[in-house]
Amino acid sequence: MAAVAVHQFVQCITCHAWSPDQSMIAFCPNNNEVHIYKLLQDKWEKLHVLQKHDQLVSGIDWSGTSNRIVSVSHDRNSFVWNQEGPEWVPTLVILRLNRAALCVQWSPKGFAVCRWVSKVIRKKHNSSVTGVSWHPNNILLATTSTDGKCRVFSTFIKGVDTRESKTGSSSDPKFGEQILQLDLSSSWAFGVNWSPSGNTLAYVGHNSMIYFVDDVGPSPLAQNVAVRYLPLRDVLFVSEKMVIGVGFDCNPMVFAADKSGLWSFIRFLGERKESSSGPKSGSQISEAFGKLYGQSRQGLSNDTVEPSKIQGAAHDNCINCIELLKQKGPKTKRFSTSGMDGKVVIWDLDNQHDLREYL
Amino acid sequence: MAEAEKPVEPGSAENILTKIENKSGKIENLIKQFKPAEALQTALEDSPPQDERCKSANWTVVHKALMAVKDVEGMLLSLDPKYYDILMKYVYRGLSTGDPATCDRCLKIHEKLTEKVGFGCILRSLADTVNTV
Repeated sequence: MAAVAVHQFVQCITCHAWSPDQSMIAFCPNNNEVHIYKLLQDKWEKLHVLQKHDQLVSGIDWSGTSNRIVSVSHDRNSFVWNQEGPEWVPTLVILRLNRAALCVQWSPKGFAVCRWVSKVIRKKHNSSVTGVSWHPNNILLATTSTDGKCRVFSTFIKGVDTRESKTGSSSDPKFGEQILQLDLSSSWAFGVNWSPSGNTLAYVGHNSMIYFVDDVGPSPLAQNVAVRYLPLRDVLFVSEKMVIGVGFDCNPMVFAADKSGLWSFIRFLGERKESSSGPKSGSQISEAFGKLYGQSRQGLSNDTVEPSKIQGAAHDNCINCIELLKQKGPKTKRFSTSGMDGKVVIWDLDNQHDLREYL
Repeated sequence: MAEAEKPVEPGSAENILTKIENKSGKIENLIKQFKPAEALQTALEDSPPQDERCKSANWTVVHKALMAVKDVEGMLLSLDPKYYDILMKYVYRGLSTGDPATCDRCLKIHEKLTEKVGFGCILRSLADTVNTV
C-alpha cells in the first residue's frame, strides 16, 4: 500500500503545510483559522490555533529555512507568523489585492513571497490566481489562474538576487516581467509545479487535462495529456520523470515520462475498486449511469442507493493539496495529501516497484 | 462518384457553410456505401465552427452521420481518438434535442464512449465554453 498513514483531523481541510522537521503540521480546517498539530507519542495533539484572518484560509506554507508560517485568506490579507517562545506572532503583509488570495508559497531561499507575488499578480492577472510555484532558481515564478492560463514571471531584483548564469547582467529580465504565457486550457487552471531541475513545468486544467511544458522560455514544448478521469486539483513532481496528480477522484494519479520525454498516465496510486457487477457492491456513479442508460446495472432496486465509497481508497473526498515530505534516503519519495474529507494521508513510493524506474 | 466541389475560400460564414455543404455530399455517399464510421469522421472534421448558422448546419450533417451508425462499438474502434472529445459534445447536443430516436442513439454512443474514454471526456466537453457545438 502506498498510503502509509492516514490521519483524520477534522471534517474538511483546505490546505496544509509541514514544519521543517515534519514534526508539526499546520492546516486550515475549512474556516478562518490555522491549526497546528504536533505528533506526540503517536497521537496528534492540537498545539496552537492561529486566529487572525476573517475569512477562509486558502493557502499556508511553512518555510524550511526560517521556520516562519505564511497564510493567505479570502479576506485578501496575508500574515507571516513567527514563533516567539510558546506563541505564534502574526505580522500583517499588505497585499493590496482586489480579490481573495488563494495560494502562497515561500521561495526556495525563504524570502517573503507574498509581497512579491501580489505585486506581480496585480499587473497581469485579470482573474483569480489559483496556484503559484517557485522555480528552484528562486527567480522564476509560475502561476495558474481561473482564466485558464499559466504564466511565468521573473522576480529578479538586481542587488538582491544573484544569477549564476553565464550571460551578462544586461540580459536579466526585469522584476515582474512576464516570461511566458501558456494558453493551453480552455477552463480553469490549477496546481502548478516545477520539476526538481526546473526544466519542466506541469499544471492541470478543470477540463481533465494535465499539461507538461519543457524548456520554459521563448519556444516551449508543451504536451497536453487528456486525463481519463475526473479533474485534478494539484500536482507534484516527485522526480524529473514522475508527477503525482490529485483531485476529484480521491486517489493520487501517477504520470511519468518515458525515455523520449513523452508523458502519460501510469496508474492510480491507491487501491481502487471499479464498480463490479455483483449485487450490493455498486457505487453511486454506476447507479446513476444505470438509470441514465435505462437499465438496472447492479440488480439493486431503484429505491436503495448505497452511499458511495470507493472501497479501499485512503481519501473519501476530493484531494485538494499535495506536499512533498523530507526524504529518508536519496530516492525514497514521500509526500502528503489533504482533502475535503479532513484527512491527511502520508504516501510512500518505496514499495511501489513498478515506479522505481521513474524515481 | 464525388460531385464537383464548389470553390471555397477560408474565412467567412458563407464559405464555411459551403464547405459544410460539400461535406454533406461526401457523407451521404459514404452512408450509401455502408461506411457510417467514415461518414461520422468526415462530419467531425473541422468542427466546430464559430458562427451560429454554421454550427446548426454542421450539427445537421453530424446528426445524419450519427443516425446512420448501427454498430457503435465498431465505429468507436475506427474513429481517430482526436475526435472523441468533439463527438461527446455532439452527443450532448443530440441529447438536448429531446427527439426520441436521436436521444436513443446518442445515449448508446454516450455509454460506449464513456466506457472507452472515461469521465475526462465528459468533463472536457462540459468545461470547454469556447469551442461549443
